[in-house]
Amino acid sequence: MKRIMIVEDDQTICKELKNLLEHSGYVVNILNNFSNSFEEIINSNADLVLLDINIPFLNGETLLREVRKKTNIPIIMVTSRVSELDEVLSMSYGADDYITKPYNPTILLLRIQNVLRRMEQKVDSYKYRELEFFPSKGILKKNEEEIELTKNEMIVFSYLLNNQGKIVTRDVLMTDLWNNDEYINDNALTVNISRLRSKLSELGYCNVIETRKGQGYILL
Amino acid sequence: MKLSKYIVDHYLSILLIFFSYAVILLLLLVFNINISLIFSITFIFFMMHILLFGINFIRKKRFYDELISNIELLDQKYLVLETISKPSFYEGEILYHNLYEIDRSMSENVQKNKKDIEDFKEYIEMWIHEVKLPISSLILLCHNHKEKLHKSFLEQVRRLDNYIDQVLYYVRSNYTEEDFVIRKVSLEKMVGNVLIKNKDDLLESKIDLEVDLGNIEVYSDMKWLEFILNQIINNSIKYRDEKRKSYIRIFAEIQKDQTILNIVDNGIGIQKGDLNYVCKKSFTGENGRRKTKSTGMGLYIVDKLCKKMGHILEISSVYHEGTEVKIIFGNNDFYHTER
Repeated sequence: MKRIMIVEDDQTICKELKNLLEHSGYVVNILNNFSNSFEEIINSNADLVLLDINIPFLNGETLLREVRKKTNIPIIMVTSRVSELDEVLSMSYGADDYITKPYNPTILLLRIQNVLRRMEQKVDSYKYRELEFFPSKGILKKNEEEIELTKNEMIVFSYLLNNQGKIVTRDVLMTDLWNNDEYINDNALTVNISRLRSKLSELGYCNVIETRKGQGYILL
Repeated sequence: MKLSKYIVDHYLSILLIFFSYAVILLLLLVFNINISLIFSITFIFFMMHILLFGINFIRKKRFYDELISNIELLDQKYLVLETISKPSFYEGEILYHNLYEIDRSMSENVQKNKKDIEDFKEYIEMWIHEVKLPISSLILLCHNHKEKLHKSFLEQVRRLDNYIDQVLYYVRSNYTEEDFVIRKVSLEKMVGNVLIKNKDDLLESKIDLEVDLGNIEVYSDMKWLEFILNQIINNSIKYRDEKRKSYIRIFAEIQKDQTILNIVDNGIGIQKGDLNYVCKKSFTGENGRRKTKSTGMGLYIVDKLCKKMGHILEISSVYHEGTEVKIIFGNNDFYHTER
């Protein structure tokens, strides 16, 4: 399980953020002692840091620059300051991403997932049971049998595969699609899911995507 | 400065001069002075007075003419003292000195006001950053307790956030000169951010989206542009026509020296008479009165921000058919250097 460190001085946000992240299967570590923030981050052993800019003692941007001198740990900057300059500065100091408060929690989770995935070793294909999945080509392969997925089906399947065994809400799938510039509506999502199901069953995997009423979908 | 008016203004001294000449003439005649001496005295007397009058007139004319013509030429008339030379006569000096004092006290006053506005602006910006924290908490709370909270909860929080952004950008558009950073930005990314932000509303109102932006990039400030697009798309959602299937089409075209972003909807449109005023401050128009309360500030701020960044905002509409908003970005070489 991935460990995420939250550097944030607003208590309520901290609590709710922790809640959100733990709910999504991350282990969360909250930085308490801001006077010692640099060492705490370095020694935290976290896989990713959510770093607020407006924190006591060392400001987030300075902290980011200091941490970058030591380690390449992924850092997502979070701020309520709405100014382009802050963003430019943060990115130039080596932040992996930048998000402005108030953020959409689903988007935050997607961003975290993307940053973490970028860190992992680049692989062309993922395995699902006996299937091989090539996201870059949008191809599902079983032995010599190949099936092409459309971009939308590919996005949906990637997400389900990444969260295999967990319930994925329609809202999350929708956000991920929109995040990839596919602005489809509710009906289209339903259509895409059912086409994905039929393609999977063509390869011999019937009913692997289950509908959990009122909750979402789950890839078994 | 006119001679005739100057003479009229000095009628008293002129009358006195003639009166004193009459007295002198009388005395000279009474004492039976030689006629040629009387002529000489008359000549010298009048020559002296005309000379004196002339010199005085010219000194004043030189100063006042310069003052008047410079004031006419200047845009910022209060700077006139810097452009004229010091007068060489006493009254002029009094005027000059006092104008200087007036100027100084005025500029102190203006400075104080500027500082007050600056303080106010800083406070508002700070306040906005503060208030974004509870809003963030609320959004997270809504997300974490979805089952227990009604959907309209999140809707209202987002409305709140939108109004707060309006204040922020109102302050920025009115009280700061160079608060933006012009960089190359991808239209697709900008539009994407805004659409995702409004995803729930768009899905809820069953609006079809057609987005075709390719890899077009423009020169703009990301945050400002995002605000601008958000206001425009919010309007498209707010003023959709519920009697038919709504759509929003977003596409861009590159021309020789400009890139045009088009946002087209089939909403209720804007009445012809209102069209020229939609960017005016506090203008709500027919639609604003009929639909939910409108502040009339959105497009006003959008227009101001566009002007500041050098973009052109064009809004056309056919009432009952739809609205088309164009933002025209210059592809000017001027912007090719990152500022």
